[in-house]
Amino acid sequence: MQTLIPKTSAAFTSLVRADFTTQWRNRRSVVMSLLVPVIILISWKGVIDKIGGAFALSMALTIGLTSIGIMGYAVSVARDRDKGVFQRLRVTPLPTYCIMLSRLTVQLVMIVLLTACVFIVGYQYDHITLSGSGYVLTFITALLGGALYLGLGQMIVGLVKNAETVNSTSRLVYIALIMLGIFGELGMFGKQLKEIVHWSPFGTVKTILAAGMQLSSWDNTTSMALLVTFGYAIVFSFLGIKWFRWNSAV
Amino acid sequence: MQAENDSSLLKVENLDVFYGNFQAVKNVSFEVKPGEIFGLLGPNGAGKTSTLSAVEGLINPESGEITVAGFNIRKHPMHAKANMGVQLQATSFQPELTIREIIKLFAGIYGVSLGTEKLNAILRDVKLEDAASKKFGQLSGGQQQRVSLIISIIHDPVLSILDEPTTGLDPQSRRQLWDRIEAIKDKGHAVLLTTHSMEEAEAVCDRIAIIDHGRVIATDAPESLIELHKDNPEVINASRKGKITLEDVFIGLTGKAVRT
Repeated sequence: MQTLIPKTSAAFTSLVRADFTTQWRNRRSVVMSLLVPVIILISWKGVIDKIGGAFALSMALTIGLTSIGIMGYAVSVARDRDKGVFQRLRVTPLPTYCIMLSRLTVQLVMIVLLTACVFIVGYQYDHITLSGSGYVLTFITALLGGALYLGLGQMIVGLVKNAETVNSTSRLVYIALIMLGIFGELGMFGKQLKEIVHWSPFGTVKTILAAGMQLSSWDNTTSMALLVTFGYAIVFSFLGIKWFRWNSAV
Repeated sequence: MQAENDSSLLKVENLDVFYGNFQAVKNVSFEVKPGEIFGLLGPNGAGKTSTLSAVEGLINPESGEITVAGFNIRKHPMHAKANMGVQLQATSFQPELTIREIIKLFAGIYGVSLGTEKLNAILRDVKLEDAASKKFGQLSGGQQQRVSLIISIIHDPVLSILDEPTTGLDPQSRRQLWDRIEAIKDKGHAVLLTTHSMEEAEAVCDRIAIIDHGRVIATDAPESLIELHKDNPEVINASRKGKITLEDVFIGLTGKAVRT
């Protein structure tokens, strides 16, 4: 018997279209993901001169990336796994990597949207401008930082099977990362914790984002932070994929 | 790619499925021929869904061979899956998508070209034209089953696998679904279905396999099974109205104890 296998590219396109439609219908949550960084930028208007534009933009972007990777990606994957959406797709002749690749494509577009949004609000309200190379490099470092948080989100859905528990775990990790990140980075918890936060997933992403905006400030510590970010992204993704189960009942 | 020359559209040989130390499927073998509706019957937890999951490629069996339209599911999973259409027991789709979008998505995945006219014709055929813009969760049980069936056969597969397709349906919807299942058979394609309804098995299945504690304990045509076991004391004991039915044979062979 002769069998025609559907083209993976065509099947993938259909899936990506459906995933973008899903994201569009969930635009309230998309707006919420963008809202926190925007509020930060607006509310920090008075202190931009003291803390610096790069610090404000990088902090807003890091918080937005955390939200996309942990709250957006992990929660939606856990929900669809629980509902059996993935099992329905897995019985089709679609390579399983396409299912995740499609989800990641949507999140990557979200990262680009977030970065653009932060740039626009930063310029409009805080009059923060970067050089052309600063804008380009920030898009690249934002995608790398986003990869780290998507990997972290993947690790959470790999470790936790139940969608409700993933939801609450994600919120907890999100709040912990942000609180420790902001206050730790400002040195409010002491020098030792500031150092730990600096090399945490929050700190390394913030460091490479800030340095990417002002290329002149890129030093050895930034290069090290870049390597550590890569390392985190690879380790989180590897463990997340290894532990991930398509069916929450198993 | 050329399939192995085999007359059966589904061949399951010596299948063993384990969940940790628990063996859910034990040395199960059966085959489904073209133009045949084959029923897999068994009490709760007997191993029906585990067997189907292995056939669908959702779980890896410990041992055994599964061939769909001549393609080994482990060696050529994409070819095997392209030849089968699956209706899962608990089907769910992205809750944000409309029925029209869901059908388009799966048509795209199977490489089926689906213009607006063709899509409307499909929706009209299953009386879902008015529900096309609704979300899957907004449909009634019968409508949901019809959507699931449309999607499972959208690429005209030679083998359809239907896991308890009529559960929760009213008699009208159930009869309509039987007609659709028989239409698949009339095309010379094969259907493998699981059901808890003995009435359904008798009405639509050409052959059935009764599975219990992970093992196939009987395989035959429903009427042949009744004929073969009508004098079995356990079957007579299970009979409620004097006349032996398939349900009596089923209870006689699998026991009266309620399974969890």
